Amino acid sequence: MPAASNRIRRARPLLGTFVEIEAAGPVTSRVNQAIDAAFESVASVHRLMSFHDADSDVSRINREAFDRPVKVHESTFAVLKASVELYRQSNGLFDITVAPVLQRMGLLPRYDDEATADRRTSGAIELLEGQMIRFRERHVKIDLGGIAKGFAVDEALRVLQSSGAVECAIANAGGDLAAFGAEPQAIDIRHPRDPSRIVGHAKISNEALASTARRFDPFRSAETTGSAIIGPGRAPLDNAIDGVTVRAASCMIADALTKIVMISGTGSAGLLELYRANALVILPDSVQISPDWQHAVHLAA
Amino acid sequence: MTEWIRYTLPAAAIAAAASPGYAMQYLSIEEAQKQAFPSATHFSEVQAGRVWKAEAGGRAIGFFIFDRVVGKHLYIDYAVALTPSGAVHNVEILQYRESYGGEVRSPGWLAQFAGKTSASPLKVNGDIRNIAGATLSSLHVTEGVKRVLATYAGRLK
Repeated sequence: MPAASNRIRRARPLLGTFVEIEAAGPVTSRVNQAIDAAFESVASVHRLMSFHDADSDVSRINREAFDRPVKVHESTFAVLKASVELYRQSNGLFDITVAPVLQRMGLLPRYDDEATADRRTSGAIELLEGQMIRFRERHVKIDLGGIAKGFAVDEALRVLQSSGAVECAIANAGGDLAAFGAEPQAIDIRHPRDPSRIVGHAKISNEALASTARRFDPFRSAETTGSAIIGPGRAPLDNAIDGVTVRAASCMIADALTKIVMISGTGSAGLLELYRANALVILPDSVQISPDWQHAVHLAA
Repeated sequence: MTEWIRYTLPAAAIAAAASPGYAMQYLSIEEAQKQAFPSATHFSEVQAGRVWKAEAGGRAIGFFIFDRVVGKHLYIDYAVALTPSGAVHNVEILQYRESYGGEVRSPGWLAQFAGKTSASPLKVNGDIRNIAGATLSSLHVTEGVKRVLATYAGRLK
């Protein structure tokens, strides 16, 4: 970032992680105001798309969208539209109706004695005129945990950029990040099995980078403790992929694509091309980089 | 190029790239106070180094509480700004230290404090989700905020 301007770096606990915003601009107080507004936009995405908050758009849809069309905020509508599109393009690998499975795994809370559908049902989500959502089937339940964090990062960056007070910035929500500004930014990529081990770094410029990984608990074992990502047939992942990092124009798309690449690895090449995205796949002893991205990724020697 | 390229990770890189520790200073207490209450004209110390009353024109407009929790291994300094009625106005991280380096990647999401009062069920798996070990650090801040609310929300006037 330019040395002539004032650089500020702040963090807040949001979205279940630490959201960090770094921004630079000529007037410190105005940069801080822009950062405040950016954090507020992240908090607002949280309020709209939380599975847990009974008043969120997501909870209202889950409760009512089979009985009647539910009007949602334009942000929620945009994320749902992208989700349904990703569901179609990935032949069902990206599926926001996975909530009941996550509930059974204990990764999402259950409420009352709710009945739940037990199959892929993103096809049952209807997007109607006037930002209305309707479910064609009963017991459908959505969770936007696989895409909303990326959207929140995009929102934060949009707020920073439109403030006019910021020349360059990075917004990072626990590893899902996006940057804008004249200078490319180098982002370190850690190995999921050992957070102190840097696999390499990727240079990004006015674009986004998102990562996901299996869960490792170094205090217990070097082996994975599983993943919050559900594979085809609603079974846990059975491939050797430890983690993936995806580059895309928007963080929402990068965030969602990490889940698909985590499931299908190099088989996701066509989809990455469709979304003009790239991926780095981390295996226990090697990495794989998608076509035409090798120039921007620098592996540790 | 149309093919994925595979690189073997040399074992030597593992040790060579290991980072010893990491500390990120975001804001000082004074800076965080100003951020939380931009209109405040004075901060009076209620409890030394820990609790301040934010005042504007002689009127209390909120409270600022400094606290510290253990993250994954080391301390995280953070501040909770409360409204005069004891609800969370915002939570800001002041300093983050980890022995691993870098931010902790979290596969889950959620944890929002604004509007929480000491009566809110600020708990894991309820309104704030605990998804995996990687969220430990942010989870500890969640617990810290809960403790701060329980300790101070009803007592500060």
